[in-house]
Amino acid sequence: MELAAGVAGATDLARAQTAFSLAFHICFAVFGVGMPWLLLYTEGRWVRTGDPGWLALTKKWSRAFAVLFAVGAVSGTVLSFEFGLLWPAFMARYGGVLGLSFTLEGFAFFAEAVFLGMYLYGWRRLSPRVHWLTLWPIAIAGTLSTVFIITANAWMNVPGHVREVDGTVVSAEPLAPFLSPAAPAQVVHMLLAALMCTGGVVAGIYAVGMLRGRRDVYHQRGLRIGLTAVLGCAPLQFVSGDLAARVVGARQPLKLAAMEGLLRTQRGAPLTIGGFYDESTGRVRFGLELPKLLSLLEGFHTDHRITGLDAAPPADRPNALLVHSAFTLMVGLGSALLALAALVTLVMVRRRRRGQRPLLPTGRLWLWAAVGTGPAAMLAMLAGWEVTEGGRQPWIVYGRMRVADAVTSSPGVGWTFAGTVTLYLGLAGALLLILRRMATGGPGPDVPPTPVAPIPVPPTPVPRDDGEHRDEQAPSTPHRPRRPDRQAPDRQRPERQRPGRRRRVPVGGGTDR
Amino acid sequence: MTAADLLLLVMVGGLTAYALLAGADFGAGVWDLFARGRDAADQRRLIAAALGPVWEANHVWLIFVLVALFSGFSEAFGIIGSTLEVPLLAALVGIVLRGSAYVYRAYGGGAAGPDHWWGRVFAAASTITPFALGVTGAALATGDLAPAAPWRPCTNAFGLVCGLFAVTVTAFLAAVYLCRDAATAPTTAHLVPGLRRRALGGALASGALAAVLLPLLWSDAPVVAHRFAERSIPFAVASAIGGMAALALLWRRRFTAARIAAGLAVAGVLWGWAAAQYPDLVVGRSTATSAAAPEANLVALLIAIGLGMAVIVPSMVLLFRLFSHPDVSDGHGPG
Repeated sequence: MELAAGVAGATDLARAQTAFSLAFHICFAVFGVGMPWLLLYTEGRWVRTGDPGWLALTKKWSRAFAVLFAVGAVSGTVLSFEFGLLWPAFMARYGGVLGLSFTLEGFAFFAEAVFLGMYLYGWRRLSPRVHWLTLWPIAIAGTLSTVFIITANAWMNVPGHVREVDGTVVSAEPLAPFLSPAAPAQVVHMLLAALMCTGGVVAGIYAVGMLRGRRDVYHQRGLRIGLTAVLGCAPLQFVSGDLAARVVGARQPLKLAAMEGLLRTQRGAPLTIGGFYDESTGRVRFGLELPKLLSLLEGFHTDHRITGLDAAPPADRPNALLVHSAFTLMVGLGSALLALAALVTLVMVRRRRRGQRPLLPTGRLWLWAAVGTGPAAMLAMLAGWEVTEGGRQPWIVYGRMRVADAVTSSPGVGWTFAGTVTLYLGLAGALLLILRRMATGGPGPDVPPTPVAPIPVPPTPVPRDDGEHRDEQAPSTPHRPRRPDRQAPDRQRPERQRPGRRRRVPVGGGTDR
Repeated sequence: MTAADLLLLVMVGGLTAYALLAGADFGAGVWDLFARGRDAADQRRLIAAALGPVWEANHVWLIFVLVALFSGFSEAFGIIGSTLEVPLLAALVGIVLRGSAYVYRAYGGGAAGPDHWWGRVFAAASTITPFALGVTGAALATGDLAPAAPWRPCTNAFGLVCGLFAVTVTAFLAAVYLCRDAATAPTTAHLVPGLRRRALGGALASGALAAVLLPLLWSDAPVVAHRFAERSIPFAVASAIGGMAALALLWRRRFTAARIAAGLAVAGVLWGWAAAQYPDLVVGRSTATSAAAPEANLVALLIAIGLGMAVIVPSMVLLFRLFSHPDVSDGHGPG
């Protein structure tokens, strides 16, 4: 008895640690997927137009990206170890099945790291065009790494193409994770989520700046790009979410039942919006019940039969309170973003007809809504993961291996978890301080203030200590070879001076209070 | 040769790349920790400039080896995960802290505490990680581990000396690499004598520790030690020749050639160990045959690795060529 309680405790702790590490990692990983695409746009504009405003955005974002990527990379490394440390039985049995996904993901990550090195440190060693080109492998690899890793998760949700005898995998199709029916919908859903999170956070930062009175072109562009990403993807996300839910309904009926808080298997099942699932009564309290709608949505017919939680014994059911609440949160936030997208589009169409500029509405209320898109997208994404993972319980591989059978027997999980939380929260706190410093300060001293009208190129570039004066010129000037030794005097400058210089109030007007 | 053997060979290659590339990055962190005197700030700047563009790419070799291990030899990964938690967690903490502290120092601009604090964190974490990985490697050779005794790998002399050996070797590699980096630009040339001293000292210390390790290997890991005597003598000789050549080349200030010799010295040790370890993955618990995934999966894995390497290796060469001359004023510059 005591042993069973011990195992249950270890399982909960291991799950909590996995959830915490995953949530931490994914909050950074989404930027690894989304940022390169935004950078491709801004730096591409700079390469084509030579407008220093685009360079200012690019430089600022690339710095933030560098930090976010590094934290994402190391926390991802932790995860690959944690699978073995916390779930040794799972990895021992299914590591080979998931091997191809993880290997390919590893290579995508390799490519991302290699080209990111070139991108971040190659400003003076590469011509603007080649520098811009290094973003392509980063963007493609970042996207592919999501694709590969999600196939592994999809296989855990809907496993197949594997033959097992007595708990040992005797043969597995190498492409098994890619053949999981859950993979396509999940991949698309996550990629869109990553873009939305990136866009929302970017939009939010510039909206805060504008609320503080920095209404220059620099901020308007930042806001516009961020909002385009988050609001443009919102309708697509709705469609992909609908597809994903249909796959769940077909392949993981219990997960769908938990999402909807549906106890009884029935025809003409209602859709319940909001509320809390009450396990003792099997009903959703305080929810809005729309009769027959769930059957209609899932099977395109009001008589479609929907499996309820009662199809499985209580021990084999997911926690419907948690899953239904997370699902409600995700759908609610997604709907809010969709509504905002519709409103913004409407206003933009009207402003266009009237010939008003800029098209994007920038009243205080609109800006506050833009600030909210970042947290909304992030929260929706995390809630979505709770639905995916929580809805699969008590299985780690649906129908094949239980979480309790996969967990480590090690006694120290509690300590590890406490250590992980402390370490990660400390690092996250420090990171927020750094990002806050980056966000305040406008375009930064690298670049002259963003002009409303194009300004003439200064006749003599002002030499700067990190030698980036080329960047202040129009990029159409032919690329000068920049051997490091030509700038030898620059390099003697002691590092001590740097922080002081950074505190200089930017000419372009930052968001410093 | 079976697919499993081929995959093992690929993994040893990945491990070699990790030791020679990321190992040197860790070693550079060790020197950051021990930077003293007038040139300390300049030395730290050179280290940061040399690491900046490449450390993330170098780090991925570990993930590569890890993924190959759990995809190809899942059983061994399960055993390692349930018995070597303590050193692995220490390595993980080191990896997380090193990476975060590095970027926080480079981009933080003091927003989250003074940069030099993060510098110390980076340096300390760079020292812990190779130590923990050395302890892990030693435990695989002894097989002296059990799920109920998580601290056991860290409580025997062989494991601890292996950890120390790993730190020393990475520091040696880093010093040799940095000699060449410092010598390429007049602004950093004044750092060369100090780094050369460190490289020479590192070579001697590594050699001395290797001499201590051999008797410990016989007493603590007899299975591997026997196979070492049978198979690994050529690798040991290659390593010794590399080490001696590195000493001579450092002495004569031939830093580029010294890099190659130092690399050979380290790779020789690694290969010698790998040859002696085979066919055991974890001695007494898991062998290449018992742990191997189904053949079809291994073949698919090898094909994927081949295709991946075809993309990655040229990219890496490009990266290293582009940044072969580290520039202490490189990067974004803060803003």
